[in-house]
Amino acid sequence: MSLTLSMDFRFTTSIEKLWSALTDSSKLAKWITENDFKPVVGHRFQFRHQPSEWWDGIVEGEVLIVDEPNRLSYTWATGDEKHTVTLTLQDLGDGKVNLHLEQTGFSNAQGLEGAKYGWGAWVGELEKLLEQ
Amino acid sequence: MNENNQMRDVFDAIADPTRRRLIHLLAEAEEKPLHELTAQFHMGRTAVSKHLTILKEAGLVHDRKVGRETRFRLNASPLREVQDWVAFYSKFWSTNMLRLNQLLEEEEE
Repeated sequence: MSLTLSMDFRFTTSIEKLWSALTDSSKLAKWITENDFKPVVGHRFQFRHQPSEWWDGIVEGEVLIVDEPNRLSYTWATGDEKHTVTLTLQDLGDGKVNLHLEQTGFSNAQGLEGAKYGWGAWVGELEKLLEQ
Repeated sequence: MNENNQMRDVFDAIADPTRRRLIHLLAEAEEKPLHELTAQFHMGRTAVSKHLTILKEAGLVHDRKVGRETRFRLNASPLREVQDWVAFYSKFWSTNMLRLNQLLEEEEE
């Protein structure tokens, strides 16, 4: 099975500043958590969140794509879940930058076949379906 | 999760576009017979029936015999597992992105 979470965020900043906030370890520490991230393909890192009773807080990853300042991708694994996070930055002009986030989730043994088309949109419809 | 004696993972069941379409078709009506569902696809009755069996094994579809036809009905509750799974990550990122926004605003000052 596979599933893609797709989200867009807009920031009032420059694409360079957003890139820096997404890749600089000390900046990541300010908005995500303590980490040893480096924007270097193949680099392995950890995000160490505050543990809770149901989560050890550790996210382990490996950098897959570094295309400054447009695209950043890394694996993102915690517990039994191993995901890939891809961040795409787009300069919208007027001091606005769009950040597109895709998180592709793969659960355990079921064949890591990659994201299926249509999944992103379908996720949004789930909520409606469940409300019926 | 096993309250319906699920034989199949709900994620597995909805990984296929035909089965997602079936779920949507069944969401539109209280109950639908197989021939009405089959009419919506470019595939035979047997193929559609196999997809319905997979949905049934995941607890997403219930069926009953009425005379000579089988009627299908949606049971959306196993989808909650998928929703919870997705909601966790979307909440995780939304919260972090709010913090990122604050950080970027502070940098501008």
